[in-house]
Amino acid sequence: MSNRPTDMSGTSLIGGAEVRSSRPLPVLLIRIAAVGAALALAPLWLGDSRVLMGVAVLGLAFVCYTIGFNLIFGSTGQLFLCVGALAGVGGYGAAILADRVGLSIVASILLATLAATFTGGLLSFVAVRRSLGVIFTGIVTLIFSLSFEALVLGLSDLTGGDTGRLIDSGTDTFLRDRIPPYYVMLALVLVFLLIHGLLRRSHIGWAFRALRDDEVAAELAGVDVARYRVYAALIGAAMLGLAGSTYAFTEGRISPTTFGFGEVDVVVLVMLAFGGIGTLFGPILGAVVFTVLDEVLIEFGQLRVVAYGILIIALFLWMPRGLIPTTASLWRRVRGLEGSSAAKSTDSAARNLKAVSGESQSPE
Amino acid sequence: MTANILDGIVLGLQFGLLAAGLTLVYGLGGVLNLAYGQMAVVAAIVISLAMDAGLPVFPAVAVGLLAGGMFGLLLDLTLLRPVYRRRDEARVLLSLLLTLGVSFIVDGFLVWRYPLEALSLHIRGGAIEILGVPMRRGSLVASAITLITFAGLYVFFQRTTLGRAVRSVIEDEEGARLVGIYPNRMLRLILILSGVLAGLVAVTRAMITPVDVHSGLSITVFALIVTVVGGLGNVAGALLAGIILGIVNVIAADLIGSYISLIILLGAAAVTILIRPAGLLGVKE
Repeated sequence: MSNRPTDMSGTSLIGGAEVRSSRPLPVLLIRIAAVGAALALAPLWLGDSRVLMGVAVLGLAFVCYTIGFNLIFGSTGQLFLCVGALAGVGGYGAAILADRVGLSIVASILLATLAATFTGGLLSFVAVRRSLGVIFTGIVTLIFSLSFEALVLGLSDLTGGDTGRLIDSGTDTFLRDRIPPYYVMLALVLVFLLIHGLLRRSHIGWAFRALRDDEVAAELAGVDVARYRVYAALIGAAMLGLAGSTYAFTEGRISPTTFGFGEVDVVVLVMLAFGGIGTLFGPILGAVVFTVLDEVLIEFGQLRVVAYGILIIALFLWMPRGLIPTTASLWRRVRGLEGSSAAKSTDSAARNLKAVSGESQSPE
Repeated sequence: MTANILDGIVLGLQFGLLAAGLTLVYGLGGVLNLAYGQMAVVAAIVISLAMDAGLPVFPAVAVGLLAGGMFGLLLDLTLLRPVYRRRDEARVLLSLLLTLGVSFIVDGFLVWRYPLEALSLHIRGGAIEILGVPMRRGSLVASAITLITFAGLYVFFQRTTLGRAVRSVIEDEEGARLVGIYPNRMLRLILILSGVLAGLVAVTRAMITPVDVHSGLSITVFALIVTVVGGLGNVAGALLAGIILGIVNVIAADLIGSYISLIILLGAAAVTILIRPAGLLGVKE
C-alpha cells in the first residue's frame, strides 16, 4: 500500500487546509492570549457548581489530548489510536509513583510524563522503521491501547482494576479545590498551544507540512521524514502524558474508563475532525463545542450517541476538512468576491504553488 | 495439551469467522467497515426479538441473517457511495470515519431502545468427548457452523462463476471491468455477504457467550486485528490467523493467567504485523 495520496480530485482528509503560518509572532501570541482570556472566564458562571467545574476541567483535559493528537496525526499523518493509553501511562504512572513510591506530586508527574513520552516515541519509531501506512500505524497503536487496558485491569492491586484507584496524594492541596484545577489545566492548554504555534513557525513545522503533503517529495527535498515523525510523536506523547497525569491528580480517582479507547480516543478523533485536522485552534473549538454539547444534551442519554453518529457522518460528507478550514475558505471566498485584490492574489498564488507541487485543482 | 489445542481451535474458528466478513469487504472495496461489530449486534438483537415474539429458533436466525445482509446492502446503497468515489488511502480513511458514525448511531439506538436485550443460544445436551477431551456441545456446534461457512466460502470463490468474478475484482479492478464485470455490483454482493457473515458471528458467539447491545466495539476490534494479521482481504489468511491466535491465547491463558494471555495475544498480533505487514498469507504489493 502506498503512502502517497493519489486522490487529487477531492480534498485530502488529513490537513489540506493550511492556515498561513508565517504571520508575525505577536499575532500568534495575541490569538493564544485571547483564547486563554475567553476560557478563563468560564468559572465566573460555572464556579458555583462542583459538578459543572468537574465537567469543565475534563473538557480542558480533552483540549490537551486533542492538541497532542493533532500534533501527531494532524502534523505528520501518524494515526495514533492510543491517546487514552498514553494519557493513562501518565495518569496511572503518576498516581502509583506518588501513592506507592512516595515521590512528590511534581516529581511523579514529570517521571510519568517521561514514561509516556518514551512510549509514544517508541511506537512511532517502530512504525516509521517498518514504514507502516496510516491504517497499520492505527492498528498497531490500537493493539497497544488494548494491551494497556488489559494490563490496567490485570494489575488490580496497583491500579484498582475495574473499579479504579483513588489517589491519596494531593487530597489536601489546591488541586482538589473547586476552581484552581481549572486554571491549572487551562495553563497546560495555553502552553501546549504556544508550543504547537511556535513549532509551526519553525523549521520543524515546515518539515511537518512538507512530509504530510507529499512524503516522497519531502524526502527528495532533504527532509528526514522518519526523524520528524518521531519528533512529532515524542512531543505529542509528552503532552498526552502531562495532561493525563495532571488530570489524574485534579480528579482524585482514575479508572480504566478515564483513559479508555472508546471514552478518549474515539472522542478525541471526533473533536479534532470537527475543529479541523492540522489546524492550530481546531482542537480547542472541537473539544469545547463537544464538551458543551454533551452537557446540554445530557438528559437525552443514549440518544446523544445517535446524534453524534449523525454529526460525524454529516461532518465527513460535507466538510471533511473540519469547521475552521471550511469557514476560513468560505470567508476568503466571500472577501474575494467583494473585490479585495490582496486576498485574491494570495489565493491565486497559493493555487499556483499547489499546481506546481502537483496538486491539480479544478478552476473555479 | 490436547485440550488446550482443541479449545484454541474452537476460539480460533470464532476469531476466523469474525474476520471473514471484514476482510472480504476490505479486499474487494478498500473499505474498512468499523460498523461491522454493530452489524453482528443488530443481527443478534433481531434474532432475540424474533424469538421473544414467539418465532422458533431457525426462522428467527434466518430473519437475523437477513437483517445483517440488509444492513450491508443499506450501507452500500447510501453511505459508501461517496466512499467509492475516492481512491486508496483516502477511501480507507473516509470509509472508516463514516462507518464509525454508523456504529455510534446503531449503538446509541440499541442501548437506548433495548438496553437489556441479549442473545444467547443454549444448545441442550451434555459434553461430547473428542480425542479424550470433553467439549461443550455449544462450542462444537459453533465450530461446525464456522467450518461449514468457510467451506461454503471456498466453494463460492473457487468453483462458481460469480465467486471468480469477485476474485477478479480483488486482483485487478480495471482488468475485471475490461472483461465486463461491474466492480460495484460485486461490491454490493460482498457487502450483503459480509452482513450475513456478521450475523453468523452473532449466532455462533451466542452459543458460547451472550451477545448484548454493548458487544459491537469489541467484535469490531478483534475482527480488525485478526483481519490484519491474516492479511487484509485474505479469507484463508483470516482463518489461519484466527486459529493461531486462538491457540496462542488458550495456551497462554492456561500457562500464565488470563489477563497476561490477552496481552500475549495482542503482542503476537503486533509482532506479526510488524514482521509481515502484508499478513500471514498476504502477498506483498
